[in-house]
Amino acid sequence: MATHVGEHNDHGHAHAPGLQHQFEDMKQQEESVSIGMWMFLVQEIMFFGGLFTAYLVFRSKYPMAFAVGSNHLDAFWGGLNTLVLIVSSLTMALTVYYAQKGNRNMQVILILLTMFFGAVFLGVKAIEYTDKWNHGTVPITGLNKVVREGHGDSHASKPIEFSIGPKAYAAEAAGGEEHAYVNPRGEFQWNDYDLIEKKVAEQKADPNAYILTTDEKNGYFSYGELDRDKFRDKVRIFYWIYFVMTGLHALHMVVGLGLMTWLGWMAFRNTYSAEYYMPVEMSGLYWHFVDIVWIFLFPLLYLLGRHFIAGGH
Amino acid sequence: MMQSNQWIPLFPEQASSFAWQVDLLYGYLIVISVVFSIPIVAAVFYFGIRYREVERYSTPDEMHGSMVLETVWSIIPFVVSMTIFLGGAIVFYNQFTPPADSMDVYVVGKQWMWKIQHESGQREINELHVPVGRNIKLTMTTEDVLHDFDVPAFRTKVDVVPGRYTYMWFQPTKPGKYRLFCAEYCGLNHSGMGGWVYVMEQRDFDNWLSGNVSGQTPVEAGKDLFENKLGCASCHAGGATQRGAKLEGIYNEEIKLVGGATVKADDNYIRNSILNPASQVVEGYQPIMPTFKGQVTEEQLNSLVVYIKSLSPTAAGATSSSPPATAANTVPASGNTNRSTNPQANANAAIRGTSNPNAPNSNR
Amino acid sequence: MQTQEAIRPSITDKPRQNYLTNGYTIKSWLLTKDHKRIAIMYLISVSAFFMMGGLYAAAIRLELLTPASDLLESGTYNKVFTQHGILMIFFFLIPSIPAVLGNFLIPLMIGAKDLALPRINLLSLYIYWIGGGLVLFALMQGGVDTGWTFYAPYSTTFSNTYVMLVGLGIFVNGFSSILTGLNFIVTIHTMRAPGMTWFRLPLFVWAHYATSLVMILGTPVIAITILLLALERAGGIGIFDPAIGGDPILFQHLFWFYSHPAVYIMILPGMGVISELISNFSRKKIFGYEFIAFSSIAIAVFGFLVWGHHMFVSGQSMYAGLVFSFLTMVVAVPSAIKMFNWAATLYKGSISFDTPMLYAIGFLGLFLIGGLTGLFLGAMGLTVHLTDTYFVVAHFHYVMVGGQVIAYLGGIHYWWPKMTGKMYSEFWGKISAMLVFIGFNLTFFPQFILGYIGMPRRYASYPEEMQVLNIFSTAGASVLGVGLVMPLIYLGKSLINGKPAGDNPWMLPGLEWRTQSPPPTENFDVMPVVTWEAYEFGEENGLDLEAARRRDREMASDFQKN
Repeated sequence: MATHVGEHNDHGHAHAPGLQHQFEDMKQQEESVSIGMWMFLVQEIMFFGGLFTAYLVFRSKYPMAFAVGSNHLDAFWGGLNTLVLIVSSLTMALTVYYAQKGNRNMQVILILLTMFFGAVFLGVKAIEYTDKWNHGTVPITGLNKVVREGHGDSHASKPIEFSIGPKAYAAEAAGGEEHAYVNPRGEFQWNDYDLIEKKVAEQKADPNAYILTTDEKNGYFSYGELDRDKFRDKVRIFYWIYFVMTGLHALHMVVGLGLMTWLGWMAFRNTYSAEYYMPVEMSGLYWHFVDIVWIFLFPLLYLLGRHFIAGGH
Repeated sequence: MMQSNQWIPLFPEQASSFAWQVDLLYGYLIVISVVFSIPIVAAVFYFGIRYREVERYSTPDEMHGSMVLETVWSIIPFVVSMTIFLGGAIVFYNQFTPPADSMDVYVVGKQWMWKIQHESGQREINELHVPVGRNIKLTMTTEDVLHDFDVPAFRTKVDVVPGRYTYMWFQPTKPGKYRLFCAEYCGLNHSGMGGWVYVMEQRDFDNWLSGNVSGQTPVEAGKDLFENKLGCASCHAGGATQRGAKLEGIYNEEIKLVGGATVKADDNYIRNSILNPASQVVEGYQPIMPTFKGQVTEEQLNSLVVYIKSLSPTAAGATSSSPPATAANTVPASGNTNRSTNPQANANAAIRGTSNPNAPNSNR
Repeated sequence: MQTQEAIRPSITDKPRQNYLTNGYTIKSWLLTKDHKRIAIMYLISVSAFFMMGGLYAAAIRLELLTPASDLLESGTYNKVFTQHGILMIFFFLIPSIPAVLGNFLIPLMIGAKDLALPRINLLSLYIYWIGGGLVLFALMQGGVDTGWTFYAPYSTTFSNTYVMLVGLGIFVNGFSSILTGLNFIVTIHTMRAPGMTWFRLPLFVWAHYATSLVMILGTPVIAITILLLALERAGGIGIFDPAIGGDPILFQHLFWFYSHPAVYIMILPGMGVISELISNFSRKKIFGYEFIAFSSIAIAVFGFLVWGHHMFVSGQSMYAGLVFSFLTMVVAVPSAIKMFNWAATLYKGSISFDTPMLYAIGFLGLFLIGGLTGLFLGAMGLTVHLTDTYFVVAHFHYVMVGGQVIAYLGGIHYWWPKMTGKMYSEFWGKISAMLVFIGFNLTFFPQFILGYIGMPRRYASYPEEMQVLNIFSTAGASVLGVGLVMPLIYLGKSLINGKPAGDNPWMLPGLEWRTQSPPPTENFDVMPVVTWEAYEFGEENGLDLEAARRRDREMASDFQKN
């Protein structure tokens, strides 16, 4: 009654390709790795969730600081990254499809394309981070470009219009509100107070209107006047959250690229087929997860400013 | 000192008006715990003995669960726990709803001491004197890390948090000396950050309050406040580029204000500048002076006025527009027990004749 | 038949190949994929951390013999209690039952060859070692003094100790926890033997399933909290610093969002062990099996909703406090249900008082007190007086030591014959269980009183009138210490010359008892097919009880003859 005669454990019958010894059959293995990967992704969501919580708390406290901080992020690059990642998710999904069909060449091509797009993403991130370094918006003293007195390449941090291509660069080239600033210690710099001064004026004109939050009324002011240093501190919080969230995401992207390298190599060796393609599908899950996190990050970080300028709260 | 003669103290003294509620809740919970424990412990003992194995590896009869029992012993604990919740909520509400007529005391924690200041200006370090039977509300913050102002005899405590104010209140019911602890770990000398709360009869408290004289003359007291305690000197004694208006030699002079009006710098002007600086800003200066309303007592205001007058050579001897009659005697009449509770009214009463103090161009 | 072999007296047999004899090289251990070997390596590691944490505890109790801070200066004392907490919580309590007993037994109990992801299991062990190594290194460099709760702003701005390094160690260690939980969930879903339906699973497995849910969902939050703490400390972000716009209470929310569910990670496996001990040593199916199973899940879920009960006096709003207090009362109910069910299981059982059962009964009493005093602390008005006093210290030691550690010891004693094939001295086992129980109560019960009269936590020096109770507490601690060290000795001795235990020394129906002691590497010679319900003790289940009784009689008469 307690014994089962038919099945023996391992070493005897022919293995399906890739079957681990602890599993009875492929189906059990596939089910297991699938649940395992989903559980891993759930915990990754909780991991990023803590950061989203921090974002939520501070955006509710200091919306104007977040607005101007976000406004200075170039939505062009952010949008390009979003597009790049979505396309890479497409190539990844196609990889899984071709793995199931056992088509080695297409798998390898698509994996390489996915990696290419991932690399483009990281490249764009590098461009953005360099831009932050140039403009003095890295929130750590010393990690910004040091600009000494009298050097010609200094320019202010100022909002970039949400437009793509020649118009954006023309605006910059035309000068706008250029004024030189020095940053001898590579500190966090902020020079754009237009929006907040406008909002402060609005609030003063109508003290009962809901223009600034209570925390903002305490946090931006000293002795009843707008204190630029205090406002800058709050913008710095935005940049911290930006760097930590996108940095952690970029780290996950790097891991993803490593995963793709391994996967590409295995695919090249024709490891995957209709019988055994779970590693591709699982890698696909991871890649899609990294994509989805970005889909949330992009509007929260990049598009926030335009929301406030358009009159939202 | 617990003021208890027991060898092993079990309860601290009940020294506040809601302490009995906390003890009652505690007693209730102990009773519930005993009532729940007895059946379980008795059952375990009884079953353990009655049903101990007679024969090795015997197989007792199967017993299926009982929906009735499960329901009963789910519902009863739930109901009981709800009564505990309600009791706790009510007591908490009482502990953290200060009555409107509370006497304010301000507390600042810092590593590793408590700085306490009464409304009337008296400051204390690690000690709090309060009158019995009065409602006392503490408004508290910290200069550095989290601390917690804990008085077990009053059965209340609350953390102090940097960057904001936290509040607690109590009404002491028994004169005595009660321990004060810091109850949120704050670093090296956390265990040393304690002190005492002295609950005194009202008369003794008034004596204590007024007894805090430093023995200085009013001008000396004012100078001490100006240079040290209130930090006036940081803006008003820095010389030509100082941020605050010049105070030397201004007494009884005509002062030009921002907006064009002029005003005479008499006693009321000085007093108003301390309590309501934004209302009359000297021309050429920014309106950045903070108000000291609520932070200075009447005596302190008097001392400051006298001191600032002393900075003008002609006024040194003049007592024409005399400072309030208590110049030589900074001790208020001891019968006036309400004096300290409403500096706002006192301040307003003293500024007679001013039109809207907030209007920048108020004319005398 | 496999089960016949399982209860065949193995005393006279040649020892067969088992997981311990399957390879003697270091490499075969360090690179093993065998869940049982990984469990044994965890056993050695957690025991080592437990001993270290225990030394710190001894230092604390010795210092607290006198009111003044004379044995240790304040700064050192602060480090001692911090490190006691960190080692005990992160490196002993959280991993112990899951990583030792769970790893060893879950595949056996469900009839599988191994866990679903053996290499992940090994990775989890490595990560545990790396995290533990980092923390130990930090301790040797000078340690931390922030309290195991690391509250901002002290830990972010004011403490001059190795906060980042210890934080890194805990961060890394968290992934060990996550991977173990992940592995268990997958295994319990997909690796059950044919016929092992969800409601035939031992309650030990249900408990670990619930625990694993908490591990996966909760641990990442402490990881991100530590990351933010480190960034604040290193780069001054300001999210916890009010001077630049941050909020120290945010740290408390983030911290306790994990650390409250963490206590359920600690106690749920313990409750699983107790379910096993009580039903097996009463030879009766647990009363209300489904209720115990579902109450574990309920505790795991509700446990995520009550973190604010650590923050009633932190300055959080009264309304938040009301919600958390209410939910705290709700989460107490499933635990009460379990207590009643366990007690009811004893009714009309056939109870034998072997050492593991003594630990289980001790658990019932101590967890009862610990759980009830949790209600004291969940009642808002009362907790204001009791927060940050020794009452809290007593409460959590009752549930963590009186609950979890006692369950762990009970489990180790119960499955020792299965894991090692040897029996320990029952006499010394019973003595040590009693010493632990008595010593524990003597140590921690006075602390409830100390808490009510107002002695705050984390105090190196205290008012004189509190000394007497502190002396009682330290006296009890010495008894407790003896009781906790004794198992090292007699269990160790059993490895050397203990009596061979036999495959099923107590004739129990669980799948783990239907295989050799110690089990072979592949767990079962023939994979079982389960056709019986959980906890069926009768002979019709393949347990040859008559043969066992005969064997006992023979052994007894042999003993008398010699």
